[in-house]
Amino acid sequence: MDESRIRNFSIIAHIDHGKSTLADRILELTNVVSKRQMQDQILDSMDLERERGITIKLNAVKLDYQYQGQTYNLNLIDTPGHVDFSYEVSRSLAACEGAILVVDASQGIEAQTLANLYLAMEDDLQIIPVINKIDLPNADIPKVKKELMSVLGFKEEEIILCSGKTGEGVKELLDAVVERINPPVINKKAKTRALIFDSYFDSYRGVVLLVKIVDGTIKVKDKIKMMAMHSTFEVTEVGVNMINNVPLEELSSGMVGYICASIKEIDKVAVGDTVTVEGNEADTPLAGYKKMKPMVFSGIFPTESNRYDELKEALEKLKLNDASLTIEPETSVALGFGFRTGFLGLLHMDIILTRLEREFNLDTIATSPSVVYKVTLTNGEVIEIDSPHKMPDKAKISKIEEPYIYTNIIAPSEYIGPIMTLCQNKRGIYKTTDYIDESRVNIHYEIPLGEIVYDFYDKLKSSTKGYASFDYEISDYKESNLVKMDILLNGEAVDALSVIVHKDFAYSKGRAITNKLRTLIPRQMFQVPIQASIGSSIIARENIPAMRKNVLAKCYGGDVSRKRKLLEKQKEGKKRMKMVGSVEVPQEAFLAVLSDDE
Amino acid sequence: MQEKSVYIHIPFCKKICSYCDFCKFIYNSKWVDDYLIALKKEIEDHYQWETIKTLYIGGGTPSSLDEKQLNNLFQMLKIFKLASNYEFTFECNLNDINDKLINVLVKNGVNRLSIGIESFDLDNLQFMNRTASFEEAQKKIKLCKEIGLNNINIDLIYALPNESIEVLKKDLDYFIKLDISHISTYSLMIENHTMLSYQNIKPIDEDLDAKMYELICNTLKKKGFIHYEISNFAREGFESKHNLVYWNNEEYYGFGLGASGYLNNVRYTNTQNLNDYLKGKTILEEEHLSQKETMDYEIMLGLRKIKGINLEKFYEKYHVQLQEEYPIDNLIKEKKLIIKNGNIFINPDKLYIMNEILVKLL
Repeated sequence: MDESRIRNFSIIAHIDHGKSTLADRILELTNVVSKRQMQDQILDSMDLERERGITIKLNAVKLDYQYQGQTYNLNLIDTPGHVDFSYEVSRSLAACEGAILVVDASQGIEAQTLANLYLAMEDDLQIIPVINKIDLPNADIPKVKKELMSVLGFKEEEIILCSGKTGEGVKELLDAVVERINPPVINKKAKTRALIFDSYFDSYRGVVLLVKIVDGTIKVKDKIKMMAMHSTFEVTEVGVNMINNVPLEELSSGMVGYICASIKEIDKVAVGDTVTVEGNEADTPLAGYKKMKPMVFSGIFPTESNRYDELKEALEKLKLNDASLTIEPETSVALGFGFRTGFLGLLHMDIILTRLEREFNLDTIATSPSVVYKVTLTNGEVIEIDSPHKMPDKAKISKIEEPYIYTNIIAPSEYIGPIMTLCQNKRGIYKTTDYIDESRVNIHYEIPLGEIVYDFYDKLKSSTKGYASFDYEISDYKESNLVKMDILLNGEAVDALSVIVHKDFAYSKGRAITNKLRTLIPRQMFQVPIQASIGSSIIARENIPAMRKNVLAKCYGGDVSRKRKLLEKQKEGKKRMKMVGSVEVPQEAFLAVLSDDE
Repeated sequence: MQEKSVYIHIPFCKKICSYCDFCKFIYNSKWVDDYLIALKKEIEDHYQWETIKTLYIGGGTPSSLDEKQLNNLFQMLKIFKLASNYEFTFECNLNDINDKLINVLVKNGVNRLSIGIESFDLDNLQFMNRTASFEEAQKKIKLCKEIGLNNINIDLIYALPNESIEVLKKDLDYFIKLDISHISTYSLMIENHTMLSYQNIKPIDEDLDAKMYELICNTLKKKGFIHYEISNFAREGFESKHNLVYWNNEEYYGFGLGASGYLNNVRYTNTQNLNDYLKGKTILEEEHLSQKETMDYEIMLGLRKIKGINLEKFYEKYHVQLQEEYPIDNLIKEKKLIIKNGNIFINPDKLYIMNEILVKLL
């Protein structure tokens, strides 16, 4: 293989802009899969991805493409579109020399497209702008072209028009990939350095590393060494991924492929690390990644406490190819043993919880997400707090700072009013509004991240009829008048229900949470008071009245078996609840603050 | 051979009540004739010649059958060898009661009548798609007694949407005035596949429901009724022997469409498909019980009785101590269960939340 005919690229797109469909057409055109094998959106291999129409984990696939009588080797590395996954995006971009920017012909540029595009531009990638879905009846090609030119500075002749649905323009696009994207810099003679951009666990082969070979070569029987983790393994198989793995004798500089080395222990390898070969050992590792810090923390506990070990193992497996996930053991008086788990954002959290349930069959309880607060103590020490119940005593705190984000909210201009009202209500600080064109704006606010993790996204969608798209970057920490609010059930504070709130909003939040809990917690055999307190003062109170009726009023011959089944069902329902003191609390209650209707 | 009981289901009605989820069809003379043939066959195929201590004809509306059909039905029941102190109940609609019907019943050995009245309140009746009046009830019950039928139950349904405690009080007064020996009361249940569920009717507030139940218990007790099962009240000596068979977890035959039975440690349910039944495909499903399951049933049913379960009898029956087999300690400590005079029973204050207790036990 002539390395000058390698092209490594990824596709950047907003959710729903048709990236996966376009990728499917590319796979077809390069005969990686025949039309008959074609399963829609073949790169999205997790069920969850197909269901939600979003790509979560990146995938890499090697394509052979004929251009002017020559075979080119195109490596398509897929990227996720959602802001929570920008870490994944930066990982895949690091393995590429170019990227295709996909914009929907009927929607135009969206907030998430911008965020990912900026990441690509920071990495100096060659960008190919594409307007997709040109077959749609409401496609407005001139308008979207104008956006690409005025907002992002592309030239009109650079823009490729295509349709993932009909396949129109896909060949032209692949030609552009060959023509415009640089081949990787080849350095076969140098000491071996390969970037691990992803990994997954295969029960037969152990950990499989997905790598880009930057310098040198790696072949079977080589002793490889992880430069950061200092672990060594013997290579059992190398190859490239053409939907299925295709083993090769060696991988060399410029290539994207996989390595198996009978790696059984998950914690011996890390995504972002550099692989080198013993005997041809590199002196310095590759730059790796800008480490994404998890922004949202939640306690995750097994509903059945005897499944703690299973939960631990499951989280470790998920962490293997999701380095942004952090896990740390946590103990809760109410929920027992579990993990303080850090996520990039709420969608990320939701996906992990769903994967725990679907892939590992684990029933979990998640506590309300929290951000990381910087707390300055009266003695001058600064500590980071990622869980409300770790908040020190009020008397010991001199100030609390919380993270703010800088928003890109792109929406039709008629929604400026509702968007600003929403941001104001979320303690937002107005910055500026950019006009994308006459009818679309990009509104910039600074908003505490702690407000975003609740229901900001849903509220934005509903107040703009779904027209707004939203993305953010972390800006900085600002001092806020924050307090810890405890929730008491039957007179006892439940650590897992504590939240940090702004003092000015504490009363309304306290009322909303107690009210919500009253509807979520079923009646018990005795009356249960629910209280919200700040320090020793109670700021809101509700009562769950004692249960008065739970009986099979009528039970005769014909009913007997059926009635017993009914009791079995009630019993199953109870199993899913958690005993907190003497109160049975359903799982949803621990996320009550998330869905409060203020 | 152990004595057994028999339940016979007549799944025909002239009118369908809005809350009813029993197996029933609008009366059709031809179907009834065919049905009686199939019923006769089912009985003859299965009855093992045990002595029958109680016989219960329920529905549906057994009184919807015409005279010929009734005679036909009673003729086939002659097969049963009845105990000397047998109880034979016939379910009956108030409107169907007349001189002729009662005479037929008495002549054929019926000695207990169960009349579904449910309420005298016009709004309630309309809601249930039923009719009744106090005067009519008074007249007809008098007639029954004159002919010699003294053991009469009437059903009362309460906790209907929009029903107030005052309406229930009036109903209770009327029911007591009828001077009958047995009253069954039910808080309205909105079951699947009933007209009420299709209309998306919601149950009334749980607190009001519980208050109504308290009112019923207190009122009837004051008037000399014995509260002997969660929903059942009787004058002394008039407790329903047949229903006690269910609650004592004893065995019984169930004949007819949709009927259930319990024989030789198997609980079975008949098909609700009329065509299958007429073709002789009677049994739909069977539940073969382990000892543990049998004991679970014993507890679930036995604790419905105010007197509860006799611990010694439980031991005789299963050769294990109830106290050792089931986690009762906490429930006793919390005064939800009480042990007294060799019986274990639910604290009367907690009867209306019985499921909470059962779920902890089973």
